[in-house]
Amino acid sequence: MIQPAPPRWLERMLLCCLPARDRETISGDLLEEYREEQLPRLGAMRANLWYLRQSISFLAVRSVQGPPMKAALTCVSVFTAAAGVWLALMEHILKHAGYGERTAIAACIAIQGLATLLLLLLDGRFVFRAVVLMGAVGVALLGASAIKRILGAPHFEGFVLLIGSALIVQGVLTLLFVLQTRPARTP
Amino acid sequence: MAELLGAFEQAILLAVWNLAEDAYGRAVLRGAQSSLDRQVAAGAVYATLDRLEQKNLIASRLAKGTPARAGRVRRYYRLTATGIKALNQSKAALEQVWQGAKWPLESKA
Repeated sequence: MIQPAPPRWLERMLLCCLPARDRETISGDLLEEYREEQLPRLGAMRANLWYLRQSISFLAVRSVQGPPMKAALTCVSVFTAAAGVWLALMEHILKHAGYGERTAIAACIAIQGLATLLLLLLDGRFVFRAVVLMGAVGVALLGASAIKRILGAPHFEGFVLLIGSALIVQGVLTLLFVLQTRPARTP
Repeated sequence: MAELLGAFEQAILLAVWNLAEDAYGRAVLRGAQSSLDRQVAAGAVYATLDRLEQKNLIASRLAKGTPARAGRVRRYYRLTATGIKALNQSKAALEQVWQGAKWPLESKA
């Protein structure tokens, strides 16, 4: 007989949020609780929501665990990813001259923020770490050039200064993080 | 005197103590929820267990899984001598702080 289980993507998401040492034990505990307690009591949909909530709790814990530098990099990456999405949307909506190029740059900022978050969560392998590191250098240079331009411009735009500074901080912290941690090993 | 434990850490350690041989992750989670009388996120409980193990207040061992958990192994916890000492010290410190105060406190106004 096939035993009920949470959706596969939810289980995969949970496994991504767990440290390698506890993947089997914690996912087993949650599966046991899901089958024996939550599913009979709440039904499939609410039991899946319960499982999702537990997975997110591991994600939250993992994001703030470790050295303060990791927490700071998480915060700044969430900010730059959100800022990149916001900038891309605004450029796309307003469609000022040269918006296509600026939308692409904003999308790169968002992708770099998301890639850094993935690196923090999944302890990526060598190639991914190298790509994120190159991206971090790129966005840091982009941030520096944006700040330089805005300081010399007749109209001061505070949000450019804020996002530019965040990109520089993200670049520096990513560099330190990649140099201080070892890449994950291939199983 | 060792570092005093927070209320959440004490609840986790007491759950491990009360469960004795049956103290594996899920049971500790339920024990902590019952003693704190509220829903507790699994992430917070396992992170605390991990931290307590790093502080050498608890130790763990792996045991065979059951069909209900698709055969995945269980991690059982037990209090170490250091853990028992830390719990005793935390309780004693709390009692010392409250000594002489009439409980429950009432407003002086």
